[in-house]
Amino acid sequence: MFGYVRPAPARLDTAGKELFRSAYCGLCHTLGRRYGWIARFLLNFDFTLLAILLSLNLPTGCAVRRCAVHPCRGCRVLNETEALCIAADYSVVLAWWQIQDHIADHGFFAGLKYRLAALLLRRAYRKARGLAPAFDEAARRHLGELDKLEKARCASLDEASEPFASLLAELAEPETDETRRRILRQLFYHLGRWIYLIDAADDLKKDSASGAYNPIKWRFDLRGDELPDEVKLALGETLDASIRRMANAYALLDAGEWTPVLDSIFYDSLYAIGRAVLDGTYHKPSRIRRGRKTEGTTI
Amino acid sequence: MSDPYKVLNIAPTATDDEVKHAYRELARKYHPDNYHDNPLADLAQEKMKEINEAYDQIQKQRKGGYSYTASAPRQSSYGGSASYRTAYSGSPLMQRVRMAINNGDISLAERLLNETETRDAEWHFLMGVVCSRRGWMDEAKQHLETACQMDPGNEEYREILNRFTSGGYHPAGYRGFGTMTYDNDACMRLCAGLACYSTTGCPIFCCI
Repeated sequence: MFGYVRPAPARLDTAGKELFRSAYCGLCHTLGRRYGWIARFLLNFDFTLLAILLSLNLPTGCAVRRCAVHPCRGCRVLNETEALCIAADYSVVLAWWQIQDHIADHGFFAGLKYRLAALLLRRAYRKARGLAPAFDEAARRHLGELDKLEKARCASLDEASEPFASLLAELAEPETDETRRRILRQLFYHLGRWIYLIDAADDLKKDSASGAYNPIKWRFDLRGDELPDEVKLALGETLDASIRRMANAYALLDAGEWTPVLDSIFYDSLYAIGRAVLDGTYHKPSRIRRGRKTEGTTI
Repeated sequence: MSDPYKVLNIAPTATDDEVKHAYRELARKYHPDNYHDNPLADLAQEKMKEINEAYDQIQKQRKGGYSYTASAPRQSSYGGSASYRTAYSGSPLMQRVRMAINNGDISLAERLLNETETRDAEWHFLMGVVCSRRGWMDEAKQHLETACQMDPGNEEYREILNRFTSGGYHPAGYRGFGTMTYDNDACMRLCAGLACYSTTGCPIFCCI
C-alpha cells in the first residue's frame, strides 16, 4: 500500500480541499499524540479515506494547529474522533506487519533498514496491539496467507488479491451498526483489491528485474516488463468492476459534508489514478507486496 | 413514515418538476441493474422502496388525496431483485445451484459446482455468477466469457456478461469513466498536482 487513493483536485472547491486536508492533518496529529513523532511517518492517504468513511456519522469539528511541517501558519485539523484513533491504531498495526514481512524476505544486511524501522516502531506497535487485538490477529493471518500464495506463484488475480482485500474489509469491524458494517466491508474489500492490483501493475517493471512474484505477470503469462494493450484493457475492466462495487456501496451511505470529497474519489480519481498507473506515468514508493529487492522512487 | 421530502433530499417547497427530477436521479442511483449480483442488492432494494413510497406520498399530498401510482415515472423492474431462472437449467444439480444462489447461499453453490465433473456452458455461467457475488471480478468475467463462447445463442449468459461490463451509476457532472477510457492528459495533471514529498520522506499534501 499506500497512498494511491486521493480526491480529484479539479472536482473540489477550496472548502472541499480544506476538508480533506483537515482529515489528513487530523490523522497525522492523532498518530503523533497516540504513538509519538515517529508514527507520523506512517501517515498516508488511504488511511485518511478510512478515517473519513468511519467518521461519516460522527460530529466533526476543526481547530487550527501548528506542527513541524506547518510551524507558522498552522493548519485546520479535524478534532480527534474515535474514527481517527482507529485509523491511527490500524496504521501502526499494518505498518508493523509489513515491516515484519520485509525482514523475513530480506537477508541480514539487506534487511537492516527494516530491522531498524521495527525497532523504532516496537513501542508504538505494542500499544496498538493492545488497543486493536482483533485487527492485529487478522493482519498476521491474512498477510501469512498472502505469503503462501506468493510463494506458490498464484496465477489468479482474484485469489492473489483476496488476503489483502479481506484484511482491508476487517477495517469495517469497529462500526457498530450492522448495515453500515456490511456496506463498509464491501467497500473496503474492493478498495483492498483495487490497491493490491494497482500496486502490482505499478511494480511490474521492478518485479521483472528482480524476479519477484507479480500476480499480473503470472495471470497474463507476460514475458517482458511492458503491459501489452490487451492486458491493459483486461486489467482496466477488472479495476473498473471493483471501482463500481465501491461506488455502489458508497451510494448506500449518507456522506453528509464529505459528499464532494468522496464523490470525486469514487466517481473520478480512482479511474484517473488507474489509467496513469497502467500507462506507466505514475510513480510512488510502494510497500504492500512482498519479495521486492529495491524501493521505488518518489514523485 | 419519515418525511418524504427528506427521503428525496428536497425542500417541501420544491416544484413538481424538481420532485420528479430528484426521484429520477435517486431511482437511477439505486436501480437494481447497478446492483446485479452485488451482495448489497437487498439494501439498494430497500432504498428503492423508500424512494418509491416517498414519491407516491408526495404525489398523493399534492393531488389532494388522490392515490398516485399508475403514472409514476417508475419502471416495473425498479425494486425487483435479480433471481436466476431455474427453468433454464437442465440438470437437477444445476437447479440446486441456482436455488442456492437465489437464496444467497454462495458457499453452498460453490461447493456444489466444485463437486460437478461436467464443465459445460451452464457450469461456467453459474461459476461466473458465484465469483461475481464474492467480488472475484476477473474470474467472474472469464467464466462468463467461456459460457458465452460455449453457448453463443444463450441470451441469459449474454445479458449477464453485458451487464458485467456496463456503466453503473455516476452523478450528474461526472461522466461514466473507465480506467482505460479516462482522458490521459487529465490524469497526468492529477498525478503531478496532487502530492509532493518533503525532504524527510513524509508525504505532504501541499497542492490540494
